[in-house]
Amino acid sequence: MTSPRICATSSSASGQPDMAQESWPAPAVTPYRDAIAAALRRAGQMPGLATLLTLAGTVAFWEISVRLFAVPSYLLPAPSAILGTFGVIGWDRWATHVIATLRVALMGFGLSILIAIPLAVLMMRVQILSRTLYPLLVVIQSTPVVAIAPIIIVVLGAGDAPRIVITTLITFFPLVVATATGLAATPPELIELSRSLRAPGFREMTQIRLPFAVPYIFSALKISITLAVIGAVVAEFCAAEAGVGYFIQVSTSLFKLPQAWGGLLVLAAMSLALFQAVILVQRLLFPWSLPKSR
Amino acid sequence: MYERLLGACALGGLMAASSAMAADKVAYQLDWLPGGDKAPIYVCIEQGFCEAEGLEVTIVPGRGSTDAISRLAAGSSDIGMADIGALLAAKAQEGVGVTAVMSVFNTGPHAFYTLAGSGFDSVAGARGRTIATSPFTSSNVYLPLVLEEVGIAEDDITLIKADPGALGPMLMTGRADGIIAWMTDLTRYGNQAAEAGKKIVALPWSEAGLELYSASLIASDGFLAERPDVAARFVRAFRASVAFCRENPEEAAASVAALVPELGAEDVTGSLKDALPLIFNEVTDANGLGTFDADRLAATWARVAQAQGLDAAAFDPETAVARSYLPES
Amino acid sequence: MAPPPAIRFDRTGQVFSARSGRVEALRDVGFEVRQHEFLAILGPSGCGKSTLLRMIAGLLKPTSGSVEVYGKTVTGPREDIGIVFQKPTLLPWATVEENVTFPRRHKTGRVSRADRARAQELLDMVGLEGFGKRLPDELSGGMQQRVGIARALLMDPEILLMDEPFSALDALTREVMGLDLLKMFADKPKTVVFITHSVTEAALLADRVLVMTGRPGTVLTEIPVPLDRHRGPETLKEPAVNDLASHLRDLLIGKRAA
Repeated sequence: MTSPRICATSSSASGQPDMAQESWPAPAVTPYRDAIAAALRRAGQMPGLATLLTLAGTVAFWEISVRLFAVPSYLLPAPSAILGTFGVIGWDRWATHVIATLRVALMGFGLSILIAIPLAVLMMRVQILSRTLYPLLVVIQSTPVVAIAPIIIVVLGAGDAPRIVITTLITFFPLVVATATGLAATPPELIELSRSLRAPGFREMTQIRLPFAVPYIFSALKISITLAVIGAVVAEFCAAEAGVGYFIQVSTSLFKLPQAWGGLLVLAAMSLALFQAVILVQRLLFPWSLPKSR
Repeated sequence: MYERLLGACALGGLMAASSAMAADKVAYQLDWLPGGDKAPIYVCIEQGFCEAEGLEVTIVPGRGSTDAISRLAAGSSDIGMADIGALLAAKAQEGVGVTAVMSVFNTGPHAFYTLAGSGFDSVAGARGRTIATSPFTSSNVYLPLVLEEVGIAEDDITLIKADPGALGPMLMTGRADGIIAWMTDLTRYGNQAAEAGKKIVALPWSEAGLELYSASLIASDGFLAERPDVAARFVRAFRASVAFCRENPEEAAASVAALVPELGAEDVTGSLKDALPLIFNEVTDANGLGTFDADRLAATWARVAQAQGLDAAAFDPETAVARSYLPES
Repeated sequence: MAPPPAIRFDRTGQVFSARSGRVEALRDVGFEVRQHEFLAILGPSGCGKSTLLRMIAGLLKPTSGSVEVYGKTVTGPREDIGIVFQKPTLLPWATVEENVTFPRRHKTGRVSRADRARAQELLDMVGLEGFGKRLPDELSGGMQQRVGIARALLMDPEILLMDEPFSALDALTREVMGLDLLKMFADKPKTVVFITHSVTEAALLADRVLVMTGRPGTVLTEIPVPLDRHRGPETLKEPAVNDLASHLRDLLIGKRAA
């Protein structure tokens, strides 16, 4: 009664079908080696699991090191200390901060899409604009936003407006450049086809150039969405009454480093989620624009 | 029955509406992030001092005195806290439309923090030391003055600048012999040092002779001109709140923590208790809470002008303050 | 009076001004294409063959001489001309059927039921029955090029310009595609200008072969193909095809050596 069960367990643990073992009797060590190899292979086939294991390992190493070497919390707080701070301020308060940052990041991101894509289209259509606007864009991009943020805040006053503008300033440059590149990267044959049909110019833009720019635009959107989170945080560092960046700043100003790290963790989670959301939108709306299967 | 209920509802709604109508809205500008040293305004809201004066106050965090002053000047906030030194410099140079209506810290909060046992135990002991400071603190402006006060040349110390959050760790790890910080942070740095098994010593610059007004209640000129009555009521409520903080620091700290849960009540109590000596001291005993003594104000301006290389004679500091909003006492 | 030829080049030249200086692509080119003739143009790479096509389509104006279509000088893009490119260049987001009807949607903004029926008919004709709802990515290279041909035929053009349409395909697919193309024209003859650098393909498909020299491109010679229009896989085995192919090869190689 018991022995077949043991048999079954051991064979499934080795990851080898019984048939294979019968037909190719192997040296005694191989089942273990195979078992490890199979486990690794299985872990490799489940990227989620592999990531989780790596993450868990890192966190465990971090916790043990901090405890073992008694690292003071102002240098590096232990993961357990960081997680412990989450309960301190209550979930509604967390939600307020996350929503505030998310609102600014998404509105700034949205505004930068609304500006960048028409601007790129305009630059594509009007050569002179392209030549005059590009240097201007580079100047705007290379201006440290942190330096001009106080001016923006004084000019635009309280509320979300200055933070949204700061976020937009940080996010829109890669979008303009990528969209302009994408619009110009259309197969020339299709442009000739369009010309030979004597189609109206706007349709060349809407039916050929813009759709062909979609993969470029989405590459830039993936960069911009993470920049949007950074932008919102930078803006909150300059002026805010709520938000994860503000939370981090308040926490650091009080030397509550574990609490500040908790905020960083939330920011990282937000960035990851938004990045995945952009990928999801691309997969749902433009599946053809994804890289071909590897 | 139903109609009576409806009537009660309508009455309640009317009362709510009328009380909301009656309350004057005031936007209060902090000079920095929330904290225990900013307790009076939280007390004003939480303990009902503001409501008693018919005020509905919202708090706007700031990023330094200059930021607070420019927001008040721009009119996005009505009244708030800022260093009067920054105000005097801004008024002398650009004539910004803001006026100080009440002094809060009547002595400078600036100090060196050192570790016990390091031998750096007086302001004069700074000679030859490495001192860390944050790039934007107003303390940097007064540093040459306090050094001059104790006969040290600026070249005699090594000044390094770092993010405020890094100063404590730099002191604990010995990367700096001393740091420049405010007396309001004594408890925080003390706790941080305790975690590293060390002890903090604070060397306030006021003891070395740097006597000046500091954080003050400052109002936008537009607010004062359009709603002088609201301003007077606010100053009255604020002054009462400051007095409350002195009598009931624990309750005051609880008020802050209730409105800003990110701050633990313990930390708030610490920094409030650190701040109280800057508000209540022998200057307060002599001149009264919130007043601007003409001589001390003139001395403050002389210091600021010297520190910033301005012509002291070209500006009258009396034009930067208005004493009429303080209640008669 | 005899009707004018479908296409006529008269001492046509094309000079491009590039940043590195003037590049003379074509010099003094003269030839005619008769109505419903299948003309193959053969020549070394960079001899301006594609430039010829673009001038017929009205996408490019000659810098000297003239290009006439049905007796009228070409001054701008002509709509009665279909173009098949070297690469299929389909819209990757549109289905096969939408790709075929694309010229109509692009020109007028909408596609009628008749257009869709026509697209269906064309897809059947190019051997893509039942593939209308597929995306281009799901099709092989040869099938994608068949979609490209169907797209070029949507507006039922008199003239079909083909710019090395089968050069990206493997040799076997290439022959099958070429012969299928001829079958299509058996019922509905078209004037075809077919650019290729394959001597066998030129000999197998064309009524006449125009051989060009390298840059600047000029017409070296015109050679009629001594075969009738009925061609099939067995045509490849005919000595005439092989003779012509080797003659063409000699011309090209000889030209290159010179």
